[in-house]
Amino acid sequence: MGKMTLYLVVGFSLLYMIMGNNSNRMSNETVQNMADYNANTVAHNLAVSAANLACNEMFLDNYWTKGIDKTNFLNGEIEANVVILDAVKNIRKLISKGTYAGVTKTVEVIFQPSKFSKFAYFSVSEGGNIWWTGNDTVWGPFHTQDYMRVYRHPVFYGKATTKKKLIYYTSKYKDAPRFFGGFEQGVDLPLPTNGLDPMKTSALTDGLYFSGHDSVYITFVEDSLKFRFSYSDKDSTVHLPTVAPGGVIFAENSIMRLKGTVKGQYSVACSGTGGKGNIFLDDDIVYTTDPLKNKNSTDLLGIVAKNKVLITDNAPNWNDINIHASIYAEDGGFGAQNYATRPVSGNINLVGGIIQHTRQAVGTFGYSGIKSGFAKRYRYDERLMLISPPMFPGTGGLEIVSWYE
Amino acid sequence: MGVNVLLDILGSIVIGGILLLSMGRVHESSTEDLYKGSGNLVAQTNLATIVQILETDFRKIGYCADWQQIPTPTEAILYADSSSIRYLTDVDSDGVVDTMYYYIDYLTDIPETPNPRDRFMYRVVNSEAPVGVNLGVTQFKMNFFDALGTELTFPIADPREIYTMQIDITVEDVAAYNQEYQTVFWRQIRMAARNLFNR
Repeated sequence: MGKMTLYLVVGFSLLYMIMGNNSNRMSNETVQNMADYNANTVAHNLAVSAANLACNEMFLDNYWTKGIDKTNFLNGEIEANVVILDAVKNIRKLISKGTYAGVTKTVEVIFQPSKFSKFAYFSVSEGGNIWWTGNDTVWGPFHTQDYMRVYRHPVFYGKATTKKKLIYYTSKYKDAPRFFGGFEQGVDLPLPTNGLDPMKTSALTDGLYFSGHDSVYITFVEDSLKFRFSYSDKDSTVHLPTVAPGGVIFAENSIMRLKGTVKGQYSVACSGTGGKGNIFLDDDIVYTTDPLKNKNSTDLLGIVAKNKVLITDNAPNWNDINIHASIYAEDGGFGAQNYATRPVSGNINLVGGIIQHTRQAVGTFGYSGIKSGFAKRYRYDERLMLISPPMFPGTGGLEIVSWYE
Repeated sequence: MGVNVLLDILGSIVIGGILLLSMGRVHESSTEDLYKGSGNLVAQTNLATIVQILETDFRKIGYCADWQQIPTPTEAILYADSSSIRYLTDVDSDGVVDTMYYYIDYLTDIPETPNPRDRFMYRVVNSEAPVGVNLGVTQFKMNFFDALGTELTFPIADPREIYTMQIDITVEDVAAYNQEYQTVFWRQIRMAARNLFNR
């Protein structure tokens, strides 16, 4: 009887020890499972933090390559390195690492110089009390340094940013815009004051450079260019790939008058102060291959003015104007000449983008519709997300084009 | 054999019986704890596995090793509703754009498991045949918000409006002691993806 009792006690004790051990092991494994997940998450967050710290340095200094040496950070370690992928195009890759509890995670970010040409719409000043309304749709990236005033749900398909805040006409409920590409406030992106200087240098090096003329009349005829210096002059013709392989046509301290059909990738620029530095669009300026009809179009044009880009008040422009270009007006804006007194002129069919200092008017309207000038039909050229016209002014900063984590 | 002996035997039987019943109860209780602990471990392991796969994949929404292959990253989410999402990504970082499709099949029960609530969850790359994975998922739910933080209602007419998303996942063990299933829950509110709004 005594032996049996002993066997019974020892047997049950062993049984419960095994069960207890199993139970403890499971508890440990459950905790370990979550600890592993936590380690992975923290390591990833450290890598992202290192990337954010390095991004900040790169945004402050485009040529920052110092990286971050291995540093203790929040009970883990971080480090970051910058690799130049393409020295000519200044394309850079940031590789950041975060290590925690033996787990290492990596984030890779690719940067390229940011060009103003990527914008569908950019302004420093919205030209007073102008509202984006429910009738307005912007395709492509949008930025204003001004307040972004909205009324009855305007639509923004690209990323929209503003330096100042969003202002609703009545309330968020009645006026909130629809953002299909995200939205950020407090983004400061000023226009440069010398955006045309690199273009002049390029034109002097391997482009076409005009100086000493009050006016330059330019007509694109596919890959040729006709030019003259007064209305009554006879045109001279040059083959653009031969005379301007760099793609920049620059008129110094002048007024440029532009029209034609573009084949290839070019930028026209006009500098000057006072009444100079303006570009007038005398008629349609379009690509040989319309990118809206053929996405493989390789034609691209930048129209860059120190002052304004204006649609001329003349007979060819009284019944629509077609413009294929990214337009940049550093001190002025894009508008229509005599917008308040010219006849009703149809539509501005723009395929490209507008980057301007101050928003300009293109017409007037009343209850019965347009009273003078144009209606707007602006479409973004989505190729501008990837490519830009030659030497088009840059923002001076880098932009993230790829984030891998 | 006297009366005392009989009383001793009867007393021993009663005490022994009580002891045996107690031991049986303790054993049953231990077994139940063991099953529950085991079920909890399985559910948590499955949840961690699902979440890590999901996070890895979702971080790559709109990513392509050759970034020019997705020129407009805001268009990377092709379709989204409360229990499924389809988007552009680059699964193996080879510079070729892939389509990823996550969804849960709420309509079909899994007959092989006793749990009446677990469902197959699918991760489909490009046009490959869907292969269901049973990790005890009983809920895979997503809510989406626009750039101003307003929740988007279903059906979402234009997925480009998605800025942030909330993901809820509930996992249970596929078999349980006495049908008392262990439940673990995970929720994350995140930017839909870093690549969507780079440019």
